[in-house]
Amino acid sequence: MIRRRLCIALLAVLALVLAACGGGGSSSGPTEIAVWHGYQDTEGEVFKKLIAQYNQDHPDVKVNELYSSNDLVLQKVLTAVRGGSAPDVAYMFGSWSPNIAQIPQVVDMAEYVSEPDWQWDDFYPAEREAATVGEKIVGVPALVDNLAIVYNKQLFAEAGVAPPSPDWTWADFRAAAAKLTDPAKGQYGWLIPADGSEDTVWHYLPMLWEAGGDILSPDNSTAVFNSEAGVEALTVLQQMAVTDKSLYLDTTNENGPKLMNSGKVAMLVTGPWDLSQLPDIDYDVQVMPTFAGSPGGHQTIAGPDNWVMFDNGDAKKQAAVDFVKWLSAPEQVKTFSLGTGDLPIRQSVGNDQAVLDTLNENVPGTATFVENLNNVEKVRPTVEQYPDISDALGQAIVAVMLGKEQPADALNKAAQAADAALAEK
Amino acid sequence: MTRWRLPFSPWHLVLIPLSFLLLVPLLWMLITSLQTEGEANRFPPVLWPASPRWENYTEAWAAAPFGHFFLNSFTVTAVVLVSNLVVCSVAGYAFARIRFLGRGALFVTLMATLMVPFQVTMIPVFLIVKWFGDNVWDVLGIDHIGALMLPNLATAFGIFFLRQFFQTVPVELEEAARVDGTSRLGVLFKIVLPLSLPAMSTLAALTVLTSWNDFLWPLIVITSQEQMTIPLGLSYFQGAHHVQWPLLMAANVMSLLPMLLVFIGAQRYFVQSVASTGLKG
Amino acid sequence: MLITPDVEKPVTPAPPHPRRRRRLGGGETVTGWTLVSPAVILIGIFGLLPVLMSLQLSFQHSDLLTPETPWVGFDNYRKMADDPVFLEAIKHTIVYTALFVPGTMLVGLLVAAALNRSVRFISLYRTAAYITMAVSTISQGIIFLWLTDRDYGLVNAALNAIGAPSQPFLASPSQAMYVIVAMTIWGWTGFSVIVYLAALQGVPAELHEAAAIDGAKPFTRFRTITVPLLGPANLFLLVWLTINALQLFDEVYATTRGGPLRATTVIVYYLWDQAFVHFDAGYAAAMAYALFVVILVITGVQFRLTRRFGGTS
Repeated sequence: MIRRRLCIALLAVLALVLAACGGGGSSSGPTEIAVWHGYQDTEGEVFKKLIAQYNQDHPDVKVNELYSSNDLVLQKVLTAVRGGSAPDVAYMFGSWSPNIAQIPQVVDMAEYVSEPDWQWDDFYPAEREAATVGEKIVGVPALVDNLAIVYNKQLFAEAGVAPPSPDWTWADFRAAAAKLTDPAKGQYGWLIPADGSEDTVWHYLPMLWEAGGDILSPDNSTAVFNSEAGVEALTVLQQMAVTDKSLYLDTTNENGPKLMNSGKVAMLVTGPWDLSQLPDIDYDVQVMPTFAGSPGGHQTIAGPDNWVMFDNGDAKKQAAVDFVKWLSAPEQVKTFSLGTGDLPIRQSVGNDQAVLDTLNENVPGTATFVENLNNVEKVRPTVEQYPDISDALGQAIVAVMLGKEQPADALNKAAQAADAALAEK
Repeated sequence: MTRWRLPFSPWHLVLIPLSFLLLVPLLWMLITSLQTEGEANRFPPVLWPASPRWENYTEAWAAAPFGHFFLNSFTVTAVVLVSNLVVCSVAGYAFARIRFLGRGALFVTLMATLMVPFQVTMIPVFLIVKWFGDNVWDVLGIDHIGALMLPNLATAFGIFFLRQFFQTVPVELEEAARVDGTSRLGVLFKIVLPLSLPAMSTLAALTVLTSWNDFLWPLIVITSQEQMTIPLGLSYFQGAHHVQWPLLMAANVMSLLPMLLVFIGAQRYFVQSVASTGLKG
Repeated sequence: MLITPDVEKPVTPAPPHPRRRRRLGGGETVTGWTLVSPAVILIGIFGLLPVLMSLQLSFQHSDLLTPETPWVGFDNYRKMADDPVFLEAIKHTIVYTALFVPGTMLVGLLVAAALNRSVRFISLYRTAAYITMAVSTISQGIIFLWLTDRDYGLVNAALNAIGAPSQPFLASPSQAMYVIVAMTIWGWTGFSVIVYLAALQGVPAELHEAAAIDGAKPFTRFRTITVPLLGPANLFLLVWLTINALQLFDEVYATTRGGPLRATTVIVYYLWDQAFVHFDAGYAAAMAYALFVVILVITGVQFRLTRRFGGTS
């Protein structure tokens, strides 16, 4: 009796399955391409509108977009490539470029972008460098950002401290942070993501560059971040975290904007994406400080991401390339940037005063970030061992900030690990 | 000494704080789901929203085709549930009561599948499922909900669980039935299963839970929106730089409701009625 | 060879019956295999085959990027022996398992015993236990990160109120693992409770009644009647919780990402990191296999021990 009931249930469910799986066959109509992206909310809306427009203007192509959270898209892409069902275009973090370059199915854009109508040189230098691995160009810039100081004007006023200025050195930054720290109120001068991942590392790298140091030797064969400059930069972090206790170590990597918005942290070194998370405070943006006596200036770091194309046959490949070319053309860059508040990825758009003014009206402080793009001189090395180098550096930085190690020792150890990784492959 | 009588059982004094402790995550989800983005953007978190924002629920529902996701999740979970109950009870009974050649080695081999983490086996499983889609029936392949069902139709977990519980059924009852000529399957369906309703309904509850909340496998197998399940839909609210907590929690609460209803409905099967144990008289 | 224990109740020998004896003789093997065949086919294809394919992967060098996967023999396994992070991960995993498994079983048993009665609203309380399992590990992680925050968390607020200093908890290399133990016990209590509840239902009330009439106190009755009859449930939980504890991943990913300073790096977290962040999938597979062997051995030992010391009296 029970068996009969179970059988009926099973059949009913199977029927549902067949009904639900509409199973569209492939139509011999427009070329369909799949674009995997991580845009949600406002960015998502603008992106979908752009796609709709493209589909309308190009009846021989159908662009299908799929949302896939950026952090997880790498696992998804790797599995798909392995299984022979790669997308046509995927949004991928710039730091993955050197590894993605090894996937044979990735389209080498070098021959395409040399054509003049791509206006390849109009992209900011950091973006182009982040997409270039050796001779290959693994993708087309999709996003650019950088790090600058975002500070709470009111907290500065209350403490009687002069707000950050372009003349600031790290000594000034440190002094201000100390004055803005009040343990009784649970208030801190500065906050840094401290989980030891690339998030932590890329907050340290601009300091390393500002102090006059470098990550790797020019031929990318050995680590040189354990130089005097490197130690000087890491010592600042040590002083603020261990001695002054003015630096809040955020191991969740998420609480920065929340604490800032709650008035518990006076300064953040972060990117433009956080500006819209601060509705409850009166903030402003300033470039990062310099190290006195260093040629490094106000260098900052950019975190460009790319659209990566996969070769699924000539027709789809061409359709994918054409779509991304349109998407990254100046007009669409302007539309996207104005609609979302993301920094424009093209210099021509970034230098357009009208654009800057509108961006700044919508989200105050954005213009400073755009101008700060001119402070980006160096990029992270596009070597496939970068994850190992990042790992070693990350652990070193956290060890120092937790007071467990001295900067010179920690950096030397990390340099050894990095050298070992570089020698291996 | 007169006993002090409370108007209710004293156990409530233990159970209420206990339940509260257990429910803290859910309560936090509910509170967050009623906050505005600004309130959610504070740390330490705001413990009570200024005015509950019920629109979060309608907005979350509209942000993505959740109705479709619910249908997909429901279909997959229903098939996986029925399949597991049937296949695992039959196999579990065999392992529990039937002595057959190679039983021990087979049991160990099946258990071995529980001992290698999915992070390692997911690519081979992907390849196998893809083969099924290409060569057997495309509904079973990549980017179809059949692919979500296929690897989960039976698990060693279910077999192990039921084997343990079937062993607690008094074997005299089974033997009495077999003496009268009932087949093994008959014994299973007429004697063992009716006495194992708590175990079966527990397995059902656990299977529904695992299937409904499965995220990693659908993530790598589904590439078009129409085939997505609820957990994938929830990831819509989790961007790289910013998580939309109120909407995410609202969607999360909505996705919990069916499971909650299933569990409440299954409650009466959790309690074994004494009369059916057959030990009286 | 591993012999699965038969925890059957002692059988009063029934009068010999010719038909029954013949059936118990040899025909059972066919019946047995027939009944298990659907499970064997399904699990064989989707469970065993991937496990074997992963074994193959452990002998290769694979970065998941290039299609070439050259054979490297035991290189990946040798690498494990020299890898200090892996050895640390082993230590952390063992410590975690040793605390989590007994903790969850004990808490689960006590809570289940409390829930195993027919007061009003009992189904609501049981639902509360179930619902804890339905909450995602991400939400759990967020809550614990907040509760244990050094500056703003409730736990430290409570500690300060009684004069104790604030503790860094998840931000401290020495404390983080223990906080994860507490967090996962909390998260798994619901499961433990559900399993024990199902088992407690199988304890006939008459036995308790008879013992109560004889004058035995509730706790004694619990100890001498209920607990022994929970044998199969205990074995199940012991084995299943151990298998899961040794493969801990989700909760670490949701909170500390293996930190601070690798204090919470457990084996599966490390191998995932190696596969998908460092692109060394062959090495990850080798670590998974080493872990597999360990789990297999421990599970076998657990079955053996329960057979010898447990069972019903």
